Amino acid sequence: MVGLVLISHSDTLATGLRDMVVQVAGTDVAVGIAGGTDDGRLGTSAPRISAALRSALAGSPEGVIVLLDLGSAALSLELALEDLDPADRDRVRVSEGPLVEGAVLAAVQASVGASLAEVEAAAAAAATLAKIPKA
Amino acid sequence: MPELTLVVADPAGLHARPAARFVQAASRFECQIVIRHGGREADAKSLIALLGLAIRPSSEIVLAAEGPDSEAALAALATELAPYLGSPTLTP
Repeated sequence: MVGLVLISHSDTLATGLRDMVVQVAGTDVAVGIAGGTDDGRLGTSAPRISAALRSALAGSPEGVIVLLDLGSAALSLELALEDLDPADRDRVRVSEGPLVEGAVLAAVQASVGASLAEVEAAAAAAATLAKIPKA
Repeated sequence: MPELTLVVADPAGLHARPAARFVQAASRFECQIVIRHGGREADAKSLIALLGLAIRPSSEIVLAAEGPDSEAALAALATELAPYLGSPTLTP
């Protein structure tokens, strides 16, 4: 099953989002988080992201989709990805989708046994989801 | 094509959690399953498609399945989703 890694400047946000994702998609999908800095501040940390990626890759042979918030999260992620073996890096997809909706849609897609490409598509499609859908 | 008509019992409508349960249950079957609501139709195996239907409480939805295990799929969906969707009416 494809796993998820959620990256945020805030550990609280990442932890809360993981709770939400697990409640919607169930406990079968592995959801790793990398939130905040090592000393508990707001920010991102390449080593924390690296650790989350490694742990997720070990638990999810089919691959891992990464969702991130903004700003330095991208730079820290880039550093963390460079730190991975090329074979592992090939099993990671970085989503362009919005963090919250993308994580939920990706996790549900992963929970039904979808491929990494299908999970990536579901996360990206989250950008098109209406906030207040027209009935 | 077997069909089921249901009235959404959940006071929040078909929101994220029940919709996700729906997608997970539907994905176990080979057949194609669609949900019709308000003149629109969505793939029951796609969460984004289901959420896009904006199914509100007490509204009527029709589930239709086509494929070798369609009867079993509708029966399973009706049973598993009864807490959210209320009692189904089977349309042969």
